Amino acid sequence: MTLSNTKTSSIRHLVLFLAVAGLVVMLGKSSFAQTDRSQPEVDFARQIQPILAKRCFACHGPDEAEGGLRFTNQNNAFAEAESGEHAIVPGDVDASVLLARITSDVENEQMPPEGDRVSPEEVELLTRWIQQGAPWQQHWSFKPMQNPEPPTVQNAQWNQHPIDAFIYTAAEKAGLKPNGMADRTTLIRRAHFDLTGLPPTAEEVQRFIEDPDPNAFAKVVDQLLETPHYGERWGRHWLDLVRYAETNSFERDGAKPNAWKYRDYVIKSFNDDKPYDQFLKEQLAGDELDEVTVETLTATGYYRLGIWDDEPADPLLARFDEMDDIIMTTGQAMLGLTINCARCHDHKIDPISQKDYYSFLALMGDVTRWGQRGDQRSNNQIDVSSEKLNQQYQDNDAAKRRLEGDIRKIEQSGIVKMSAPDQRATEGPKRDRNRILKEKLQDNLSQDDWKKHKELKKQLADTLQQGKSLPQREMVMGLAKCKPTPEQTFVLFRGNPHSPSDPVDPAFPGIFESPAPEASTFTGTDKTAGRRRVLAEWITSADNRLTARVMANRVWQFHFGRGIVRSSNNFGKLGVPPTHPVMLDWLAQQLIAGDWKLKDFHRLIMSSRAYQMSSEGQPEGLATDPGNDMLWRFNPRRLSAEEVRDTILAINGSLNREAYGPSFYPMLSREVLAGQSRPGSGWGNSSEEDKNRRSVYIHVKRSLLTPILTAFDFPDPDLTCEDRFVTLQPGQALALLNSSFVHEQAKRLAKSVGGIEVDDKELIQQVIRNVLSRDATEDEIARGSELIQTLQSQDKLPRQRAVELYCLTVMNWNEFLFVD
Amino acid sequence: MTNQKKRSGTFCGRTRREFLWQTGGGFGGAALASMLSEDGFFDAKVSGNEQLNANPLAAKPPHFAPKAKSVIFLFMYGGPSHIDTFDHKPAMTGMEGKTVDVKTFGRGGHRTGGRIVEPRWDFKEYGESGKMVSSLFPNVAKHVDDIAFLHSMTADSPIHGSAMLMMNSGKVLSGNPALGSWVNYGLGSVNENLPGFVVMLDPSGGPISGAKNWSSGYMPATYQGTVFRSEGAPILDLARPKDLSSDVQRRLLDSIQESNAEHLAARQGNSDLASRIASYELAYKMQTTAPEAVDLATEDAATLEMYGINNDRTRDFGTRCLMARRLVQRGVRFIQLYSGGSHNDANWDAHGDLEVNHNKHAGNTDLPIAALLADLKQRGMLDETLVVWGGEFGRQPTAEYAKGSGRDHNSYGFTMWMAGGGIKGGMSFGTTDELGSRAVENPLHVKNLHATVLQQLGLDPNRLSYFYSGLDQKLVGVEKVEPIHEIIA
Repeated sequence: MTLSNTKTSSIRHLVLFLAVAGLVVMLGKSSFAQTDRSQPEVDFARQIQPILAKRCFACHGPDEAEGGLRFTNQNNAFAEAESGEHAIVPGDVDASVLLARITSDVENEQMPPEGDRVSPEEVELLTRWIQQGAPWQQHWSFKPMQNPEPPTVQNAQWNQHPIDAFIYTAAEKAGLKPNGMADRTTLIRRAHFDLTGLPPTAEEVQRFIEDPDPNAFAKVVDQLLETPHYGERWGRHWLDLVRYAETNSFERDGAKPNAWKYRDYVIKSFNDDKPYDQFLKEQLAGDELDEVTVETLTATGYYRLGIWDDEPADPLLARFDEMDDIIMTTGQAMLGLTINCARCHDHKIDPISQKDYYSFLALMGDVTRWGQRGDQRSNNQIDVSSEKLNQQYQDNDAAKRRLEGDIRKIEQSGIVKMSAPDQRATEGPKRDRNRILKEKLQDNLSQDDWKKHKELKKQLADTLQQGKSLPQREMVMGLAKCKPTPEQTFVLFRGNPHSPSDPVDPAFPGIFESPAPEASTFTGTDKTAGRRRVLAEWITSADNRLTARVMANRVWQFHFGRGIVRSSNNFGKLGVPPTHPVMLDWLAQQLIAGDWKLKDFHRLIMSSRAYQMSSEGQPEGLATDPGNDMLWRFNPRRLSAEEVRDTILAINGSLNREAYGPSFYPMLSREVLAGQSRPGSGWGNSSEEDKNRRSVYIHVKRSLLTPILTAFDFPDPDLTCEDRFVTLQPGQALALLNSSFVHEQAKRLAKSVGGIEVDDKELIQQVIRNVLSRDATEDEIARGSELIQTLQSQDKLPRQRAVELYCLTVMNWNEFLFVD
Repeated sequence: MTNQKKRSGTFCGRTRREFLWQTGGGFGGAALASMLSEDGFFDAKVSGNEQLNANPLAAKPPHFAPKAKSVIFLFMYGGPSHIDTFDHKPAMTGMEGKTVDVKTFGRGGHRTGGRIVEPRWDFKEYGESGKMVSSLFPNVAKHVDDIAFLHSMTADSPIHGSAMLMMNSGKVLSGNPALGSWVNYGLGSVNENLPGFVVMLDPSGGPISGAKNWSSGYMPATYQGTVFRSEGAPILDLARPKDLSSDVQRRLLDSIQESNAEHLAARQGNSDLASRIASYELAYKMQTTAPEAVDLATEDAATLEMYGINNDRTRDFGTRCLMARRLVQRGVRFIQLYSGGSHNDANWDAHGDLEVNHNKHAGNTDLPIAALLADLKQRGMLDETLVVWGGEFGRQPTAEYAKGSGRDHNSYGFTMWMAGGGIKGGMSFGTTDELGSRAVENPLHVKNLHATVLQQLGLDPNRLSYFYSGLDQKLVGVEKVEPIHEIIA
């Protein structure tokens, strides 16, 4: 497979590399000072840290620090213990008590005190490591990114694309050989679901199979990236990460007005190939950018997606819970960092202090709560009406005020002539005033004035009517109100908002080694504090150690079914280390070099052999690496919740492909609504047409998720979701066998292929073409026909029903639900 | 109560996370992570997503020998008044209408005093323990010698929304797994044909926040509560369409499986495909076993009578109590029954007329609850079945409004009780002050209650954890929480 698309900058980059291919660079070479270079260098992260964790952490780890010693970080490990001794003295084996204790024969001196002794090999490693100066290397992801060159491999096919060279090298090292190419039928199905969440039609498959153009696959990819369905599929990945929902949870689970505009913003950003750095900037500081637009204001809906308790028992705690929710989401989704773990105490494993947490919080110090129980709009609904409409509203207001003034003047001229009690009554409640005016005004006015009064009243009524008929003001959900001068932020003792301790200023977490921003850089508008923009620029700067890595890994994960770092929201020490660390940095650099544009990045990945590989099992691979860590095969996968529902609609032709717009409400059965305290509350009715729209447009009500989606692992929208579960529970089978939705769709499928008008063979061929985008085999035709006939003859079902049930069975096949 | 200091029952006596550290998995072992996740114990969030196929609900060994195998949580939604039911306050006699200084916090906000509403029902001594119980629960009262009353319960919120979440998930914020989900996750189900966590709602509707109360939060939906209905097919989509016989369904299934087998044969090394094939057989079996589990036709007349199924007032709750007993017999781990649903006086939320409200709800549930206890006992099941009774909070000693007997919410002190499952009977633990306004002796938090439930099921509440968001999340939170040792037999 040659590179098929050279119009993109990342590909240019790649071609440049190809020109210099052959250059092998030693990667991952460490640069720490060493006191003993005679022996092979010990790798701290790979060889030492696991020993410490395994043998010592139970008593000297994150949870316990017996004797004042813990091995979780360099400072603590090298510090003087309560005994006055040092466990580890870099370069000095004799002074390092750790070695004496693990090798001691004296029972009450031995470490660990119980369980297996430290093995001689481990002792040797620890000794050598201390001799070499006990280099305590930084965790891989906290180090600045490298700019590695891809390797060269001795396999012509796998040496043509940098990704393939990386993959082949790693597999070869593990004694594995990656699979050959997938066939075209498989490939196009894979690409369609991957990029759009929808299956190819049989015609599209056929066209691709027959396309002699060596760029055939690249063309398919380009086409798919241009459909709005791309944004619907990939935007949904982002919505999982930012825990998108359209209600607030808790007792009332009230709606978040215009939340769907944020959803559309996300989908459109993907479709427009908005650079990822810009995408983040808009969400974090769309109200503070040089150019503030309706779009960037809509992006600040990011801050409004979380749960919100309208009557918290402890309002101050609730405020910090809400900020924690935003910090957790921002930290994990954008930085792959669990900053949230440092809310109550320093992070136990990663070098993130409690001070870091509150300094980070201060960067968002101007963010207001969603609202108050009495006012649930001012803080979160931004008026973005056009100038023309604003003018119309203003004019109408002015006319109304003028008329009211004129009317009142005439009324007052009559009122002064009335009796004292009557006059007094007109100063009371409006009801009394109107009563008096109705009874007595005419008698106290000249005929002219009375006529004028009547005329003005009519004009006022007209004006009010005009006001009502103006188009609605356009609102978006976002940061409508901020605190231009945020209150001082404090470190909260044990996270308790009622126990503030040291004051902190806005700053970035220490591990990034970025200087704290100067207060002078906080140039907000008169409505904001200007801190979020600084935060946004820092997160999206090319030298941020995590942002590009995290996003490159995510894109990889969604293409391949798993990340290079599996724990894609956690690049910290408790996360899972990368399987291909050098390739990850290379990919992250490509992302930045390509101006953070994702479509080129998809092209880069999808043009690799690695992506186009077959998913077949092979004995060596299954035996050596059943988890496919080395990516010797493509990972087959089950369809996602949305793909299941959307595909069921697509194959019978009833999918409404209209993109964007307000959410719709699918039909929920009575028993599902019965779980609510007010059955049906907060759930609307949508037209039949709307009900056939794609699942990404389903109204996400936190306390009433759509069962067909949750059955297939739609995530709980209260918390960020990095990677959905893929369960295969019997509830899914029940939904696909028995639900009224599926039976209705099977009926439509039967109708779409000709129903009872066609014979078995034609029907089966057409059903299989629609459902699986391929031709039926002779065997399948025979079996299908037998089923249809038996259902009629033996079970006495009408042909119509027999045909529907046949359709239903095909929709239950594994082939339908899985992508190779 | 087991006294094992060594942690047994988990991975070689360690927690999952510890195990990973000690095998280097946290730092170097992606392959190991995938191996562990097949066990269902390792967090799939870390391990990627392909490993949950191996039936995550398969029965798992507890941390130590359990006292209880199942839990029936009788949830008195809305918040029953403790001083009108089980927390006798003789000092309040004669105080009706008196204004007192007492700090309260309810939906009406913080107050510093109010008008006393004297408990409206007479109390009487019952059992060998001589426990005082009000005339609201004359039948439950006969079982006081099997019950441990917890009079000093406290919760973090006196507002329904957050308090319901707290009682069900230990936190006042939504998004966290329910107690039943934790049990489901920790122990799996011994009956693969039935869900491990069943919820049965009041006919008037669900509680506020609906499904949030039995959500599995950040865990897979496999662990969430399944709503069982007492009429029709108990589970959503369980019943096949009316025009299909069992034979037809089997025929369809055979046809599907034939194609699936062919598909699988060409794809060795994809265990997901085999798992999905198995899930269809399981689903098919569930269609028979689940309706059978809740079909009361095989129960004898005396049993139906005992549960009050022949009486309009008690039919509904009695039916659900009897269903609960049948589910326990079939190995369901955690069953939650709601008394009361919807809003206002459809549940125990007695803001208006205390007497009307509590007479209604106690009258609907007293006999069935007593029958459940008696029935479990006579069948020798009570020892292994932990019954928990209570609401999300209690009620205040003072009136909410200028007139009337309605009481506002009270999370400063309230009563819950436990029976069976290795809990001491005939005892009361903790007290509230003379007015029942707040816990004074041995205050207990909802977390202590949760810890006790887990402990009785053989799960160490301070060890049962699930890795999410960079933390080993626990039902009881990060700080160590003690079960209520004093009530454990």
